[in-house]
This record gives sequence, structure tokens and C-alpha cells, in this order.
Amino acid sequence: MEKTVRLNADQREDLVAYLDGELPDDQVRQIDTIVSRSEVARHEVEVLARTWEMLDVLPSAKASNDFASRTMTNLKALEAPYVFANQWWYAPLKRTISIAAWLAALLICGWIGFEVAKNRIPNPHEELLQDLPLIENLDSYQEARELDFIIQLKQNGLFDDAQGK
Amino acid sequence: MPPTTKPAPSVEDSGYLHDPEVQLMLRTRQGDDDAFSKLVSTYQDRLTTIFFHMTQNHESAEDLAQDVFMRIYRARHGYQPTAKFSTWIFRIANNLAINSHRGRARRKEIRLPAGESTSMSGLQPDDSVLAEKSALMPTRQIDKHELQIIVQKAIEQLSEQQRLTVLLHKFEGMSYSDIAETMEMTVPAIKSLLSRARDSLRTALEPYMQMGKETR
Repeated sequence: MEKTVRLNADQREDLVAYLDGELPDDQVRQIDTIVSRSEVARHEVEVLARTWEMLDVLPSAKASNDFASRTMTNLKALEAPYVFANQWWYAPLKRTISIAAWLAALLICGWIGFEVAKNRIPNPHEELLQDLPLIENLDSYQEARELDFIIQLKQNGLFDDAQGK
Repeated sequence: MPPTTKPAPSVEDSGYLHDPEVQLMLRTRQGDDDAFSKLVSTYQDRLTTIFFHMTQNHESAEDLAQDVFMRIYRARHGYQPTAKFSTWIFRIANNLAINSHRGRARRKEIRLPAGESTSMSGLQPDDSVLAEKSALMPTRQIDKHELQIIVQKAIEQLSEQQRLTVLLHKFEGMSYSDIAETMEMTVPAIKSLLSRARDSLRTALEPYMQMGKETR
């Protein structure tokens, strides 16, 4: 190989793998031969190796001292069962629900009481209301004196107007 | 004679059980939090370093490292030792780094006016000036801090994949096949990625090589 021959892309790729010790033995021997014969290849190897060495100046980042404990705490929190009672909104929500429940209970009791009172306690005005048409026409009935006459008047439609009113 | 098919090796025979970190993870699977705490201690700086060089931000690096541990911990019940633990954890880190990069890219698209350079985003304003100054005067002496910035800038100019490949190889000492497994790529693809990355680094760093030598 000529001393000044430039390397092709495949050979360059192999040079990097050669430096990294990632080439199979037969290819390593090939590269060894190339490097021993070509000044360009030797220079390439040297520059690539030097470039790689320059990365040594890159700093290693260190995690904060409390990283591990912080991580484990977060993991525990992540795994902890969700406790409603520990949430900020739990107490006000509980109070609101409690007030609403009492109000609802009061309303229901009131309604039940109203229904019971309405159905069980007799209304003194109810009978009076049922007899209202008779009371309203009592004078006319008394003037007629006989029931048959009144029935006859009714059949003739005399009371229709009065009932319509 | 009927052909005999060799049964696929079970997870328990997979050979990764000799990895002490796999053992720690198996103990974590069984509910041993101390084992997981040991894994956190072992990997916290290593992950933070990788993420720091990916994001150029220490706080983000720690957040991402913590996110990796969170994911691993959450996945512990279904853990199967099908790879070296380091390969597995860095694979998760790789996926997170990609997602984080996409997220940052989206945010930059919104925040930065078009055409604004982001290549120096990781450096402080003073550092950017320093790096540019050094580039203008390559023959002057540079100190270690300056060299760090120059190398950092060179690393930043690599693609995301190239950068991670370089970092895994340089900082983690991973072999090509381990990197390939971590990044879910083929070995030749990694070989090519590393070669191109080294070529770019060489172009960026060659002017400073002599100065770097003097600095050491």
C-alpha cells in the first residue's frame, strides 16, 4: 500500500472498530498490515485515538446526595394506596355532603309528615264542601217542599244554570 | 427418526441470572425494596451523567434518571431477565431521552424564532463566547475548562443517536453488541454510527488537539 493513499469509508469504519477492539482477528490482521504500510492510515489511527482521548475531559455528573432517598420516597408515594381521607378536598367535601344529607332528611321527613297529616286526620271542611251545592240551593229546595217536584224541575234542566255557575 | 426441535431456553436458563444486578431486580420483583435501593445507588450517577450530556442540564438529567427508576419500579412485577440489567436500564434511558428530546424540540419550535441556533443551548452565554473565542484563536493556550466546553460543544453537534452511542461506549464502556441491544439496532449500524460520530468529533476537535495535549 502506498504511503499517501487515503482510506475509503469502509476502511475508516474498520479503523474505529479496530481501535475499539471490535474487529474479528482476521480483520485486525488486515488493519495491522494497512497501518504498518500506510502513513495516512497510521495518522488516521493516531488522530482518531487522540480524539477519543479528548473526551476524557468531559465531566461525570454526580446525582444530588439525596437523590436515592428522594427517589425511594417518591416510589413509596407512588405505590401507596390512594387514601381519600388524606386529600385536601376530603374534609370540606365531607362537611358539605353531611349538611346536604341533613337537609335532605329534613325535607323527606317534612314531606312524609305532610302526607300523613293529609290522609289520616279528617278535614272538618270536607263534608261541608261536599254538601255545598245543596246548601247553595237550600232556599229553592225549601220553597218546593216536595221531592218529586224538585226531581221534575231538575229533569227540566232548571238547576243546570245554577250548577254551571 | 423425527426431527428434534431444541426447546427455547427458559428465562430462568437465560444466562443473565449470573448478573448480580439481575439478581437485585429479581429480589425487587419479590418486594425487596432494599435491593432496588442498591440498584438506584449503583446507577444514579451513571444515568445522570448520560442524561446530563444529552440535555446539558443537571436538573433535567436528575429528573430523567428518576423517571427511569420510576418506570423500572413500576414494571418490576412483570420483570423477566431477558437481557443484562445494564442493557435493559439504558434501553429505558434511551427511550426516555428520545421522548424528552422530542418534547424539548417541540417547546423550542414554539419559543424560538425561526432560524435561531440551538446548538449552544447547553452552554452558558459566557461559555458560548469562550468556545467561539477559542475557535478564533486556535494557537493560544487553552485551559481544561475551555477544553471541556469545546469537547462538550463537539458532542452537542452530534445527532442524538450518535451522541448516545458515544456516551454509552465512552462512559459505560459498552461493547458494540450491548449498545446495539440497548438502542435496538444492529451491530453494523452501531459500528457505522460510532464511526461517523468519531469522524465528526475529529473534525471538530482536531484544531485543539495539540493544545489539549499541553493542557494535560
